[in-house]
Order: sequence, then C-alpha cells, then structure tokens
Amino acid sequence: MTVLVVVVALVVAIATYLTWLARRLDRLAARVSDASGGLITQLVARADAAAQLAECCGLDELAASAARARAGYPALLAGAPLNAAVELAENALSRSLRSVEVAAAGQRFPIELHAVDSGAARVALARQFHNDAVRDQRALAGRRVVRVLHLSGRCPPPGYFEIDDALPLREEPWPRLVEGSVRGADAPGREDRPGHDGPLGHDDRPGLAS
Amino acid sequence: MKIGLACPYPWDVPGGVQVHVRDLAEALLAAGHEVSVITPVDDEQTLPSYAVDAGRSLPVPYNGSVARLLMGPVSAARVRRWLREHDFDVLHVHEPTAPSVSLLACMLADGPIVATFHTANPRSRVLTAGQRALQPSFEKLRARIAVSEAARRTLVEHLGADAILIPNGVAAARFADARPLPDYDDGRPTVAFLGRIDEPRKGLDVLLAAMPQLTARIDDARLLVAGPGDAAAVRARLDPRLRSRVELLGLVSDADKPRVFASGQVYCAPNTGQESFGIVLLEAMAAGTAVVASDIDAFRRVLDDGHAGRLFDVGDPARLAATLADVLTDPAGAAGLVRRGRVVVEAYDWRTIAERIVGVYQMVSGDRRVSLAST
Repeated sequence: MTVLVVVVALVVAIATYLTWLARRLDRLAARVSDASGGLITQLVARADAAAQLAECCGLDELAASAARARAGYPALLAGAPLNAAVELAENALSRSLRSVEVAAAGQRFPIELHAVDSGAARVALARQFHNDAVRDQRALAGRRVVRVLHLSGRCPPPGYFEIDDALPLREEPWPRLVEGSVRGADAPGREDRPGHDGPLGHDDRPGLAS
Repeated sequence: MKIGLACPYPWDVPGGVQVHVRDLAEALLAAGHEVSVITPVDDEQTLPSYAVDAGRSLPVPYNGSVARLLMGPVSAARVRRWLREHDFDVLHVHEPTAPSVSLLACMLADGPIVATFHTANPRSRVLTAGQRALQPSFEKLRARIAVSEAARRTLVEHLGADAILIPNGVAAARFADARPLPDYDDGRPTVAFLGRIDEPRKGLDVLLAAMPQLTARIDDARLLVAGPGDAAAVRARLDPRLRSRVELLGLVSDADKPRVFASGQVYCAPNTGQESFGIVLLEAMAAGTAVVASDIDAFRRVLDDGHAGRLFDVGDPARLAATLADVLTDPAGAAGLVRRGRVVVEAYDWRTIAERIVGVYQMVSGDRRVSLAST
C-alpha cells in the first residue's frame, strides 16, 4: 500500500514537472516568435527609411543595398527564417548607412536622416530582444531531460541573428558639456577650460549672485 | 497603451524605487496612457487613484539595509485579480529580484513583460544563489531596463543578461521654482543635506567632520540636514561648537523637499558608496542649487565628469570642506555649475525618459496582451 502511494506520488510529481517544463518551452517559443516578428518589423522600417533617404538624395549605393534588403522581406514576412542571407543583406545596408555620403546628405535632409538613425537604433534593440529570447530558449532546450524526451519538438532551435548594427556616429544623444574624461585630474573644478563656458547666465536665485 | 506597473516596496515608505514608479506613472498618465500601479502599502489612504493595494509588507534585513518584503497567498490573489481585471498591453515590473509584488506579478503573468532593475550590488549572494530559481520567471521578460551602468553590470554578472540603459527621471518642473524655506531665506552661506541621517552610507558623518574646517574658512556657514533618523543621537555626537551651525529638520514632506534644496547655495551628497544613481543630485540641480558630491561612479556620470557639479574624494572630510568653501565663496563659479546642471537635468526630465520607456513598450507589445500564466 505504502509502496503504491509512493509510486503514485512520484509519477504525479514527475508528470507535473514535465508539464511545467513543456509550458515554459511553449512560452519561450512564443517569445522567440514574437521577438523575431518584432525584429523583422524593425528591419523593414529601417530599409524603408533608407530607401526614402536614398531617393531624395540620389544615393545610388544606399538605394542598391536598401533594394537588396527589401527584396527579401516578402519571404521573411511570410515566415521564412532569419538566415545568413538576410544577415548579409542587412550588414551591407548597415555599412551603406554609415558611409560619408549619407552623413553629408543628412545635412540637407535632417528629417529623413533622423528617421534612418532612429530606425537603426530600433533594429539594434529589436535584435537584442530577439537574441535574448533565443538564448533563454536554447538554455532550456539544451537541458538533458528536454532533449531526451523531445519536449521542445523536433524543429531545429532558432538561431541568433548576428549583424553589424553599430550606429553611425553623429552627434551625441544630448549635448555633453565637455569632451573627454577628467578622471585623475588634479581638481574637479575646470571653470577655465576653453570651449564650454559661455558668458555667465543670469541667475535669479538669492545668495548665488551676491 | 494600457500599462500595469508593479512596485515591490511599500508606497508610503520613502525610497528611490517607489519615487521612480510614481513619477513614471504620472508621466505616462500625462502622456495620455492608461496606468495602474500595484504596490504594497502600510496605510491605504496614502494611495493615489491610479494605485492598487497589494497588502502589508514584512521588514527583513537585507544587503545592509532593511528590505520590506511581501510574498504570500493573499498578495498573490490580489496580483492575479489585478492582472485579470486590467487586461494590460504591457506589464512593467520594477526590481523583480526582490521577493515582493514585482516577482509575484512576473510569476503569475504571461505576455509582454518589461522589467527595470534598480540595484547595483556587485556581490549579491541572493542573486547568485537565486539565479536558477528566478530563471523561470525571468525568462518571461521581453525587455530589461537598467537605471544605471552599475545596475546593468550587476545584471550581466549575476543573470547573464544584458539590459537597456534608461536612467531615472527627475520631475524637473516640481523643483524648478522652489523658494527657500521661510527660516532660511536670509542669504547666509548654507549647505543642504538630504537623506537618512543614521544610514552610514549616506555619509552625513563625513559632512559633519568637514564642518569645523568649513566654518574656519567661512565663519557664518550653516548646514541644513533634512531626512529621517535619530536626530538626538546625531546631536549628541556633534562637536558643541557646531551646535548652532547644524540644523536638523528631521523628515521633510515631499512638498518641502524642493525648498530644502533652494535653502542652500550648495547641496552636498557625501555618500560613501553603493549608490546606483544620483536622482537626488538631479533634483538639487533642477532646483537651481550647486552640487558637491563624492566621487563615486554614479555621481560622476550624473555630474558630467565634474562639470555640472564638483566631486571630492569619497569619505575625505578635508577635501570636502575645501570644495564646499570654494563653491560658497565663488558665486560666479557656482552660477556656472547651476547653469550646466540645468542642461544635464533636461536630458533626465521624466517627459523625455517616459517617452524612451514607451518606445520599449511598443517594441515588445506586438499583438499579444498580458494574460494570466497557466499553472
């Protein structure tokens, strides 16, 4: 009798554990699929913005790499995986976006350039979300019990999406007051450094100006 | 968007995370979003209309201070009901490493969940030991935000996950037009301090030790100390000659906080470490007060490497006294610090910060909504 109770309890415990693992795997699969959907959305938006900038500035190289990236999107949107070919096309687009011509054209079309830059920043974020999700998914799917019991199904695990999405260096996100670090300098007050201190502003707080 | 915010610490106990959640909620509401906050609270009357009570919390000593925690069937039921009733587009949990409402919400919900990590703690035993236990909850997080580089590093080291850096905001408008407190509007050279007076890490002792040298240089210099703690004990330790120069105000109301900053020509933050972010520095700068702070990473960043406020060697009363005296005797220099401080504050204004956070929400929400996790 006792043996039976123990066996039943054990079976229930194991079944509960496995169900719980399977739920986690389902949840992670959903997260990965949402994240790759989000990443594709951002890639499309970046390429659209790039194509627009290329068109209004007559930038042939950018137009070509944007067109090449956009050619792959119908398949991606229909569910094709984010594979090495996509990575190549997106890398080429990243490189074109960092070119000197683009920076120069941006002087004349700041709104279009801003659209491209914020699109690129969102691609970098979306890629981070995607790769985080893939990493969590792979960590769980790699556990022995999951592999032996084929709990995560037979589909190959999703891959990381690795592209060079370093943002073009333009101005700082907000104005820095002085370039460079002053760590190790003798004293913290650098009132006399040229270039950052305009004429004294009017200050209306009592006690400071007296 | 419909946004649910989970706050782990009691709403009516002063603390950085609570202030962050309140200001974020109010900035999101002002931007036209629907917001509900769930939080522990000791006195339910103190809750604003957008917040929901998750129950009373339990004080537990943790990591050198007192953590107030809340995990139990009653709170779990409340969190579950809150999730069910609101049908959020995104759930944003704060400090989910604390065993409280945020972690509960994380365990009970499914869908677009974002987490913000506030603590910087290079050797957290709880995080190291709890990593495996937390993983099932943390693998639901679709985006992680860290409020500081130090908090981000802690996360990378303990949980092996990266995070987006979005700093704390400051409700700049609330501080901008502050007037000095009535008794301190006399233009006497005044240094203001704000923080727990019996918490060694806040560094009040360093500042008190600097006072004799400061008053030696500036005869009528005065120190204004605002913050909770045992005032009698501090007064007893005080050098008798300083008694007339150090004013202990005790705990000040939120409404009076800007006025404390405005009562000083200088705000001093002599913290001796373990600060992940210098929100109080930004508040002082928003109030138009020059800042002198210890040279720790978080403060150096906020003060733009020392250009928007002066830094001094951590825990060094002599350097502190010299720096304070410099600022108090150089009105033009102080005005420069104040002016550059205002430029820094703009980038941290809650309107700017909330916009960046909404950008993250939009990226993770997609067409899925927050639901109750099947258990």
